[in-house]
Amino acid sequence: MKNRFSAAVLVLMIASAALALRLAPYNYASQDRDAAMAPSTARHVTGTDELGRDRTVRVAAALLIGLAGAAAAAAITTTIAAGIGVLAAFSPPWATAILMFVSDAFLSLPWLFLLMMARSLLPLTASPLETAVATFLVLAAFGWPACARAVYRGATALRSAEWMIQGHACGLQPRQLIRLHLVPHLRPLLLPQFLICVPVFIVAEANLGALGLGVGEPMPSWGAMLLELDNSALLARSHWVFLPIVLLVVVLLILESFTAEVENHA
Amino acid sequence: MRSLLRSSLLSASLMALLTVSAPCQAAPRQPGELAWTIHYDPKTFDPAKVDEQASELVRYLTGGVLLRLNRQTQEPEPQLAESFRVSPQGTLIVFKLRGGMRFSDGSALTSADVAWSLHRVLAPATQDPVADEFLSPREVTVDAPDKLTVRVHLPRRIIGVGKIFDEIAIEPANRPSEGRVTSGPFTVADYKRGQYVRLRRNPNYWRHDAAGVQLPYATGLRLDILNNREQEISLFLRGEYDLVDALSPDYFALVAKKSPQSVQDLGASLNTEQLWFNQSSAAPLPDFEKAWFQNRGFRVAVSQAIHRADLARIAYDGHATPAFGFISPANRLWHNDDLKYAHESVADANRMLLASGFHLSGNQLYDAAGHPVKFSIVTNSGNAARQKMAAMIQQDLAVIGMQVTIVPLDFPALIERLMHKQDYEACLLGVSNTEPDPTSMMNMWLSSSPNHQWNPSEQTPATEWEAEIDRQMQAQASSPLRNERKRSVDLVQQIVADQQPFIYLVYPNVLQAVSPQLRGVQALIVSPGPVWNIDAIRRDDGRDEKGSHQGGAR
Repeated sequence: MKNRFSAAVLVLMIASAALALRLAPYNYASQDRDAAMAPSTARHVTGTDELGRDRTVRVAAALLIGLAGAAAAAAITTTIAAGIGVLAAFSPPWATAILMFVSDAFLSLPWLFLLMMARSLLPLTASPLETAVATFLVLAAFGWPACARAVYRGATALRSAEWMIQGHACGLQPRQLIRLHLVPHLRPLLLPQFLICVPVFIVAEANLGALGLGVGEPMPSWGAMLLELDNSALLARSHWVFLPIVLLVVVLLILESFTAEVENHA
Repeated sequence: MRSLLRSSLLSASLMALLTVSAPCQAAPRQPGELAWTIHYDPKTFDPAKVDEQASELVRYLTGGVLLRLNRQTQEPEPQLAESFRVSPQGTLIVFKLRGGMRFSDGSALTSADVAWSLHRVLAPATQDPVADEFLSPREVTVDAPDKLTVRVHLPRRIIGVGKIFDEIAIEPANRPSEGRVTSGPFTVADYKRGQYVRLRRNPNYWRHDAAGVQLPYATGLRLDILNNREQEISLFLRGEYDLVDALSPDYFALVAKKSPQSVQDLGASLNTEQLWFNQSSAAPLPDFEKAWFQNRGFRVAVSQAIHRADLARIAYDGHATPAFGFISPANRLWHNDDLKYAHESVADANRMLLASGFHLSGNQLYDAAGHPVKFSIVTNSGNAARQKMAAMIQQDLAVIGMQVTIVPLDFPALIERLMHKQDYEACLLGVSNTEPDPTSMMNMWLSSSPNHQWNPSEQTPATEWEAEIDRQMQAQASSPLRNERKRSVDLVQQIVADQQPFIYLVYPNVLQAVSPQLRGVQALIVSPGPVWNIDAIRRDDGRDEKGSHQGGAR
């Protein structure tokens, strides 16, 4: 019941964001220079930012970009983790050792600094869309090791399962074994990993954005909008400055509740 | 992963709260002490080795000098020297010292101390940046024929005697003390790295006010080392600090609301904010991009497309003045009032681009070879006004078909690209001009200089107009006549306005907040700002020492 409510809220937020982007007479980059830091008006329902850009439109775009990017990055990282975890579980011991060493080495690296370094290697002329794609790809590239460890443990348990041995004895090819036995049994493990990754990547993008290394201007992102909170003068001028952080926390709580629910079922 | 998520959630949620409830605690104030902040630790207290602003401020507050450049009139005024005389050829300067002066430790101050201090500044081993202003420091000789007379023999005339001797602190002969024994209004009493510099009143300071009261009025100064604007403003509003000397435009309205009588907008500063394109032939850029940036029409069109009034109004909340040249109108002595420049006009910009071989196709501008005009503007991260300007310029240039990406970089990475790799297309930065005299800007305009940003360290000037700038800047630096110097500087201003190697955007206004409890503060737009007459400033003791400002928040 609780999960359904959370899902309904999330769907409602996504639908509202999409509708806001479709109906608004401005795009997220349009600067209404006569209405910088405007309060709530009929023209700008949640006011504008310091450059006169409509806050509703920018928050809606950031929400959709953040969710879509994080979901895509989570899908990629879960796929990479599944591949590496399964490969390690079914490889000779020396290959397993190498794969797990690489995974552990990745885990022990300073995650945020690596993200910053990788993100800063982008060419200066990368368009805002390219920076957004690159940001989430970088997150996907660095997010797999913890997940791969979990998959490896699950796949190792499956490898020695009686029905796997029986399938093997019955002459099933490795491809058939994977399709019929491995994937269905790993799914309960992969889904929570995917759901955990989505909010983590949203927050990671927000952190990178707050450091000026996230999605490029003028494309909106959570990180860039949260930067406004670092200025008490702005906070005093409009309470709508808090809108992005409020929505971000709501989205993260919803995603967290999904994860908890799936883990409980698992 | 789960714990990472939870901690991230927590940090995201707390972000807003942290900004509004930043912990604020200044060191306890001693009776009669004035307090404000500097943003980083002074690199040295040795007055002969100063090469950055924090150390320069400490030298200004502690060092006794022969002449002080009056920051309002820009004329030299005698200080430790009762009088001075420059020979008609400009090769001899004779200083007559005041009688009976003492250092802060009670020892007598004589011409021997002055001669020793000057020798130390001029010695190559000291590496004092001031020595270079004597043009040939090794050939300068100093002698002291009697206890109150000092003669400085120069191989040739130097420009700006007042400014040069304003930067030479007189120390006790053979006893350099790093500011502990001084002849200025204060001495260094205590320094805690990363926390504060405490200065104590010099009991033997030579100056007295009209009523005969010995200066300075303040018993001491505490310069807190704090690089956090939020905290600085909060502590100022609580009365812990007496002034904020470079108030950010973001916070002007906030402080004005809480303490209206304490804020002042002094108008345009001498500083400039500018955009420039990388014109260096050695830059690792495609040849067609170099050709754009070296094309005068391209640069002028960009300048014409930028709405400077919007930049001033929005990025600076109205606390900036649109800029069209490198000398601010606030610099009345040197500003070219007859400057002619290409006015803002999108239509003219389009015409200029067309005449320069560019053409529009749809919303995209292309060069004659069919390359779409796309480039990035690098700027430093963490400067809100600059990043807002960059976003506005991005939109302004989109109107004439240029696709611009904005790249904020941390300062070391930015400097690496600008100074060493020259790996950038355009840059948006500011120049801080601490002095009105254009000689102080020589390193930016001489084509051989590494700070000639659009094309650094040229072996020979790349263009005729750069050669002309070199000639005129050298001429103004060597001429003793103000009119001749002004003519040269006017010409350089006009060349820069015509060629647009720097596209000037705004002159940020000088914004300051001064506690209403301070008396004797005189507004000033040049360095060191409101404390330039520090010996005459005092706190009004008729009010609560630790109380908040009128109307301010406790």
